Amino acid sequence: MAIDEAIFRFHQHEDMPPTLRFYGWKFPTVSLGYFQDVEKEVDIEACRRKNIPVVRRPTGGKAVLHEGDVTYAVVGRDSNPLFPADILGTYRVISRCIAGGLALLGIEAEMEGNSRAPNGDSLKASCFSSPSRYELLVKNRKICGSAQVRSHGIFLQHGSILMEFNPFKTCDVMLPRSGDYERQILRMKQSVTSVSEHTDRAVDVGMVCRALMTGFEKTLGIELVKGELSPEEEEIKAVLMTHKYMNERWNMEGGCRAWI
Amino acid sequence: MKVFPDDLLYNREHTWVRVEGDLATIGITDYAQEKLGEVLSLELPETDDSVERDEPFGAIESAKGVFELISPVSGEVISVNDDITDDIGIINSDPHDTGWMIVVEMNDPEELDDLLDSGEYHDFVLREAGDG
Repeated sequence: MAIDEAIFRFHQHEDMPPTLRFYGWKFPTVSLGYFQDVEKEVDIEACRRKNIPVVRRPTGGKAVLHEGDVTYAVVGRDSNPLFPADILGTYRVISRCIAGGLALLGIEAEMEGNSRAPNGDSLKASCFSSPSRYELLVKNRKICGSAQVRSHGIFLQHGSILMEFNPFKTCDVMLPRSGDYERQILRMKQSVTSVSEHTDRAVDVGMVCRALMTGFEKTLGIELVKGELSPEEEEIKAVLMTHKYMNERWNMEGGCRAWI
Repeated sequence: MKVFPDDLLYNREHTWVRVEGDLATIGITDYAQEKLGEVLSLELPETDDSVERDEPFGAIESAKGVFELISPVSGEVISVNDDITDDIGIINSDPHDTGWMIVVEMNDPEELDDLLDSGEYHDFVLREAGDG
């Protein structure tokens, strides 16, 4: 998370090409949206019992239980001709890139052009139970959720592509819970899907990342160039990690105060 | 096209300032609220907090994402609009007036020299909307 924000902050001061980043999670982790009230949306006690850390994202949206998913981050300038000036246009373009990558794995994902009515019994806090425009669905079930933050003409878009989905694990850590647990699980299964459900062969994280990279290259007509963090980004990352993302106050309460 | 009041100054991050002496009342522009869509969440500083020019003083969320609110001036917050925290829809319905967000006692009124007047902001918005 600190790396993504470091890239986002550095872009605000330097004219540089957009950055695409993929990563996974060493341990199952819950990420919260910028504005989410942790006490209302995540069962903190359950997370503690299961050793599931909670980290707050700089991006909006809902909570995600990361476990074996592929997380992506795109940072770009909103005046870059690769991305439309309107905000939803950026979601649309990035969704097309991801759909193009998933198609290479034989998965036909479609953009959510008009929001589905949310399932009443689904967990309102969970990102994957709440589709929004231009997120990706396979047979009307969400496979990729995305969220943005914008500042100084730069956007950071986060998204998560599920390799597998376990509704029980999600329900165990997300709030609020309805009284009917089985019905809630069923609704989650009906709303959410994953890569493994739509591929006959064994597809691992590396294959998904390579397919997604090809999806970005073909859709945008670009050639991705592998890079590393610049010394400036490394410096910002280190400060953000120490003072923000490892700070209980940010993760539990959030807030716009200066963290670095 | 939107009309941007002549008595306000604007930054390129779509916040406006109304100046009375050393006091700057700050809000977001009608263009910004339209671009965001329905505002769902808002975070503002508290009275006595400091704000810095070109740094975030708060954040706002719509269904499209989170947007940092960038301060056009530096100074100390002397008032926060409680009405919009109670009824967040005011930001969408009346962004240039009752939708004001904070009042700042400015440290350096010369910072206002870098802001845009309504005509310049209008042209800036036209250029931005035309990008991409």
